[in-house]
Amino acid sequence: MSQRTERRGIHVDQSDLLCKKGCGYYGNTAWQGLCSKCWREEYQRVRQKQIQDDWALAEKLQREEEAAYASSHGVQTQSHGPFSKFEEKKTNEKTRKVTTVKKFFSPSSRTPPKKETQDSKTPSPSISRHASFDTDQVSKDFVEFLKNLQKPGREIHKQCRAFLVNMSSKKDISAEELSECVQDFYQNMVDRLMTHFKGSSESVEQVMDQVEKYIMTRLYKSVFCPETTDDEKKDLATQKRIRALHWVTIQMLCVSMDEEIPEVSENVVKAITDIIEMDSKRVPRDKLACITRCSKHIFSAIKITKNEPASADDFLPALIYIVLKANPPRLQSNIQYITRFCNPSRLMTGEDGYYFTNLCCAAAFIEKLDAQSLNLSPEEFERYMSGQASPRFNSSEGDWTSSGAASESTSINPVLVQLNQNLELLSSLSSRQERLVEAAHSLQADLLSWTESVKKEVNDILEKYPLEIQTCSVSAIDANNVDNENLPPPLTPQVFAG
Amino acid sequence: MAAGGAGSNKTYSFKVVLLGEGCVGKTSLVLRYCENKFNDKHITTLQASFLTKKLNIAGKRVNLAIWDTAGQERFHALGPIYYRDSNGAVLVYDITDEDSFQKVKNWVKELRKMLGNEICLCIVGNKIDLDKDRHVSVDEAERYAESVGAKHYHTSAKLNKGIEELFLDLCKRMMENAQADERLKGNGSSQSASSWRGVQIVDDDPQATPAGGCCSSG
Repeated sequence: MSQRTERRGIHVDQSDLLCKKGCGYYGNTAWQGLCSKCWREEYQRVRQKQIQDDWALAEKLQREEEAAYASSHGVQTQSHGPFSKFEEKKTNEKTRKVTTVKKFFSPSSRTPPKKETQDSKTPSPSISRHASFDTDQVSKDFVEFLKNLQKPGREIHKQCRAFLVNMSSKKDISAEELSECVQDFYQNMVDRLMTHFKGSSESVEQVMDQVEKYIMTRLYKSVFCPETTDDEKKDLATQKRIRALHWVTIQMLCVSMDEEIPEVSENVVKAITDIIEMDSKRVPRDKLACITRCSKHIFSAIKITKNEPASADDFLPALIYIVLKANPPRLQSNIQYITRFCNPSRLMTGEDGYYFTNLCCAAAFIEKLDAQSLNLSPEEFERYMSGQASPRFNSSEGDWTSSGAASESTSINPVLVQLNQNLELLSSLSSRQERLVEAAHSLQADLLSWTESVKKEVNDILEKYPLEIQTCSVSAIDANNVDNENLPPPLTPQVFAG
Repeated sequence: MAAGGAGSNKTYSFKVVLLGEGCVGKTSLVLRYCENKFNDKHITTLQASFLTKKLNIAGKRVNLAIWDTAGQERFHALGPIYYRDSNGAVLVYDITDEDSFQKVKNWVKELRKMLGNEICLCIVGNKIDLDKDRHVSVDEAERYAESVGAKHYHTSAKLNKGIEELFLDLCKRMMENAQADERLKGNGSSQSASSWRGVQIVDDDPQATPAGGCCSSG
């Protein structure tokens, strides 16, 4: 891909490649034709504007609120104090990267990156840009939502912000403590909302969903896969494990899905897409929604195959199979994140919670999977794990599958599966073609022999019955004319006047 | 896990897990209960692994969430992930299959060890329409259930026998448990607190949150 663009670049005029601001450095299309330095400046400007807009909104709310509550709540004016802290937190949050390596490169995005101009490998601002725009969008939505709630809305907003400020000061505490803080916050919020809405749990749920969305989008960067935990290590271990298990087939897991049926394989692909998509979401609830969608596709696949509603006996193996095929990125981190920071009422009793629990089970099963759980002998299991043998080799025939080592990895990559199927299709096509050519040859031979035989037959007959030419009696046209009367009268010469 | 509300207008939410070997009829049982169908080609639900039922018992609303579990032996170790935080467990065996009853005994031991007496246990002998092939004696099963503090029921998903009673009974017991829980914790604010029992929250310190002033009335 990169090669192609390079090659294509030869035909492009040099000036097109330079930064649009004319600073002399090369530009990059990903940075809208600017060089890294100019883009950075531009981006800083846009981001600052976004932040200011956001703050203008927030502060407006705050002022309105101050006016309303000034008399009764002297204490609350304190929350003005940590404003600067909050701002600091916000920027920190945005600059913080998952990888520690990047941290060494850019200690803070706020310091003008003078030395980094030539270093094209510094983290591209466009990555964090999207993220921060998202965050700002979420804050705006949240403020909009709370406006409908009037006074309590302001109260909620204040609580949330105060909570975020407080969280930003807790940098070095463990993930469990972070989780505890968030859960405490949820609980207090629910208690308060319960009193406010007089126990209407639907309204409370609605507000809580928004609160969760706001809080967790803000906190995501700092609490997802935090460095204080070994989540990242577990992720890598799981990923490696799933890769090592690429040879596990649908039959070994006794999954009741028949991928030969087009609708089933379509649902399988969709389920895989959904489970992979989970990692891209920031709010726990959105992540759960991905799991639920994935599960629904699995149910559809099972229902089409078995023609009856799927029980857990069918569902769990199918989910395990999907997880093995998908190898979802950062699976353990995601599970931990949801467990720690999801609004618990959703996680514990609802349908989403059930599917999430099943995903946890699938992950646990994959981790502990051994020969017995696949109904294999320990020796077989060892051989497959070490890559000395592949169950696909034993079952497959034909020169196409055995010639390519690619078939080994078929079980993990749907594209390769497709490729294999195509190859099989092609091989069957070519054999059919051969048969066709053979048939054509024989047809040709048949045709030749047929003309020969016809010729021979004709000759035989000619020999047998030699042509006798009888001398026929010559007669006048009119003689013996039987149907005389049918003929028109003979033309008679006529003389015209003139 | 009783979600609190204002006054008498409260709703209980219970989680019930279905445990038992594969092929004992767990799915049929729950489909019969929630959809009143058995082996029916017209079953509309896409899946029978997570089903809910709304009940009204003595003027109280109850939301029942029934979690089916995979019964295959190789998934046995995953049990704790499923039954965590459940209020009740329905342990199903096939009366024509001695082994499945043995499995139920294992489950009971495990549940009691892990969850203590907090969980309401129901031992269910299913397929009583096949009584002529019975391999688990009624006496033995009932005596065992009593010895472990569980209730024993006989059901047939095929004939729709005993299922309604089983779940109604279970709900009543879970409500009693929940009410006892509330009394222990005192009433009022802790009502809703109990709904968070599922998570490991320490809720004795609500000041931990940076609440800039609690209620506006305060």
